[in-house]
Amino acid sequence: MFAPDERRWFFAGARTALTGPAFYVALSLMSTGALARAADLPPEAAMLATALIWAGPGQVLFFGALAAKTAPAAIAFAVSLSSVRLLPMCLSVLPMLRAEKTRRTTLLLAAHFIAVTVWTESLRRLPDMAKERRLPFFFGFALTCVGLTTLTSGLGYWLTAALPAPLAGGLMTLSPFYFLAATARAARDGSDWIAIGAGLALAPLTQAFVGGGFDLLVLAVVGGGGAWLASFYARRVVA
Amino acid sequence: MSFDPALHPYLAVIVLGFLPSEVWRWLSVVIAHKIDEQSELFRLVRCIATALLVGVVLKIVATPPRELAAVPLLARGGAFAFAATAFFAFRRSVFAAIFAGEAAIVFAAWWWG
Repeated sequence: MFAPDERRWFFAGARTALTGPAFYVALSLMSTGALARAADLPPEAAMLATALIWAGPGQVLFFGALAAKTAPAAIAFAVSLSSVRLLPMCLSVLPMLRAEKTRRTTLLLAAHFIAVTVWTESLRRLPDMAKERRLPFFFGFALTCVGLTTLTSGLGYWLTAALPAPLAGGLMTLSPFYFLAATARAARDGSDWIAIGAGLALAPLTQAFVGGGFDLLVLAVVGGGGAWLASFYARRVVA
Repeated sequence: MSFDPALHPYLAVIVLGFLPSEVWRWLSVVIAHKIDEQSELFRLVRCIATALLVGVVLKIVATPPRELAAVPLLARGGAFAFAATAFFAFRRSVFAAIFAGEAAIVFAAWWWG
C-alpha cells in the first residue's frame, strides 16, 4: 500500500499512538463493552461499533438507546445528531492531508478515522510535518488507535462489571480529561486559546438557556465564530 | 419499521449507528476539497471544532455516569481544576493532566461512594 519511505512514516504514526493516545482512548472506550452487555448485545457488537462508529458519544447514545428499547428511527436520528460535530472536525483535518494527487477514496477512508483522539493529535502534529509524510503518519496513528480500542471494547464486556465502582467511574471520566488536555496541547496560537476559553465560558450558559438540543450548535457558532473574529482582527492590527 | 435490533445486532450497528454518523464524514470529504489549508475559512472551521469539543466535554461533566452520581458537581469541577493545574505545572503535559484528574475523581468517588 505504501512505498518504503511512506512505511517509515506509517510506523512513526503508530509509535506516536503507542506513547499514550491509543491507550487513553482504548481504556476510555472499554465502557462500550459494558454498554453492549446492558443492551443485550454480544461483545462482538461493541467491537464492530468501535471499528465502524468510532466516535465515543455516538456509541454511548447508540447502546443507551438500544437498552432503553428506543424506536430504530429515533436511534438513527439521535446518533446522527450527535455526529454533526464530526463535520467541522473532518474539515479542519482533511485539507492538511490533501495533496495534488490525493484520491477521493483515500480521503473518505481518512475521514472515517476522525473522532476526537485522531482529530486533536492531527491538529497538534500535522502542521509541522512535510505534506508527503502526513497521510502515512495519519493512517499509522489512526489504525493503531482504532485497532487497540476495538480489542478493549470487546474486553470491556467482561471486565467493566468486575471493577469496583470508584475505578469504573474513573474509566468513565478518562475521556473528558484526555480530550480537554489534548485539545489544550494542540493549541497553536491565540485563536485556539480563545476558542477553548469561549467554549468553557459559554457551555454553562448554553446548557442553561438554549433548549431543544441546539445548545452545542449555538456554542460552536458563537464561541468558535467569535474566537476566529477576535483573532482575525488581532492579526489585522499586527500586520 | 418492523426491525428488532436485539435479533440483528450487527445490522443494527451498521444501519442505526454507522451510517447515520458516517454521512457527516462523507459530506466533509465533498466540501473539504474546496477549503485551502492557508485560508481564513480553514481557521474559522478549526475554531468552531475546538469550541464545540470543549462544549461536548463540559456536557459530559455536567451529566455524570451512574458511578459518579454521588460526587457533587463542585468536586467534579475541582478534579478538572486540579487536572488543569497539573497540565500547566508540567509544561502542558497531557499525561500529567490525566493522571492528576483521574486520581482526584477516583478519590472523590471513593470518598462519596
